[in-house]
Amino acid sequence: MAIRTPSQTIGPFFHVGLKWEEGDKVTFASGGDRVILTGRIFDGAGSVVSDALVETWQAGPDGKVPGVGAEPRACGYSRVFTDSDGRYSVDTLMPGPCAGPGGEKYPPQIHVLIFARGLLKALRTRVFLAAPGNVSGDPLARAAGSRVSTLIAARDPGQPATWHWDVRLQGKDETAFIEH
Amino acid sequence: MSATDLADVDPPYDYPAYKSTALRAPKQVMLRVVPHPVEFFGPVFPDRFVKSAEADLTAWGKSAPLGEKMILVGRVTDEDGTPVRNSLVELWQCNASGRYAHPVDQHDAPLDPNFLGQGKVLTGEAGEYRFVTVKPGAYPWRNHPWAWRPAHIHLSLFGNAYAQRLVTQLFFPGDPLLDIDPVFNSVPDPQARQRMVCTLDLESGVEEVALGYRFDIVLRGAKSTPMGL
Repeated sequence: MAIRTPSQTIGPFFHVGLKWEEGDKVTFASGGDRVILTGRIFDGAGSVVSDALVETWQAGPDGKVPGVGAEPRACGYSRVFTDSDGRYSVDTLMPGPCAGPGGEKYPPQIHVLIFARGLLKALRTRVFLAAPGNVSGDPLARAAGSRVSTLIAARDPGQPATWHWDVRLQGKDETAFIEH
Repeated sequence: MSATDLADVDPPYDYPAYKSTALRAPKQVMLRVVPHPVEFFGPVFPDRFVKSAEADLTAWGKSAPLGEKMILVGRVTDEDGTPVRNSLVELWQCNASGRYAHPVDQHDAPLDPNFLGQGKVLTGEAGEYRFVTVKPGAYPWRNHPWAWRPAHIHLSLFGNAYAQRLVTQLFFPGDPLLDIDPVFNSVPDPQARQRMVCTLDLESGVEEVALGYRFDIVLRGAKSTPMGL
């Protein structure tokens, strides 16, 4: 088995090479319910992280792996940069429910990768777009225990398409991340 | 693969020699969980996502950029040696003087109007890729006294599965700055560290025009899972 190529930090200058046109707009081959996932990223001192790259991957509205659509880019995937306020925002569709090979039931969720200066390896996690009472059967929710609250987005009462989810890299209410 | 292998190949999040990790490295234990079904697959980038001109970083301006022209070739495979085909590879770098075409970079070295420092390609049937660029310069940074980053090229890879996503850096053989670079040295295993150093590959260059360098990249297996799951 060959040695893997190690991960290294994305550094502060990734905007040069990694900007995608409309990277915040996730496309799918078919339609569904629009979702805006947005929030801010904070470091261990509570300061905003204004130089992060956030990517998301998810099932399509039908619960299946997104294939290739009509757009000249990949379906189901987003790439956004945080702004000076540490905010990211992704315009996507509600992922459908999935079932695992062992019969696991997965409530709607979005896979998230966070890259930044000071992160020698991307942080991986998932955010649930579901009420807290509806995620308990998920394998990640079980693994997270009481920390699952850091992985549940809050639906905006005034704008039901918008879901708020902040990320804390370190410190109080640190977001639960996944080993990889 | 053992848990030790996993820990040894990638750097730790908390690495005090690299100052920016101090407030950004999570302190809580990472969760171990079976992959979600969509993680065994990844985004599929259609051919039209990449223009053929994006493989040549030296043809972007009105004339050739300054610096040592180089051809970067390599193959992307997974840990079992399987070629990673038709997968997106993105590249970004500073110019030959050590300056990024980026507003945040205030290093007092000249910008090159003919060099933007960004490229992308899709790998071929054998996992192969090829870029034409110039060798990036070293540059100072404020991590510690006399800190200079060794010449490096940033690479972003998707593989064919979400689990394979990798961002790394390529370094050059024989660079004396490697010894003092906390980013390079954050990788604990010296053999794994050498995986990030390209090799001179004259015949992949162009005779009397450009030096060739080879950088083969190994991604984790598309179906690999954290140990014990």
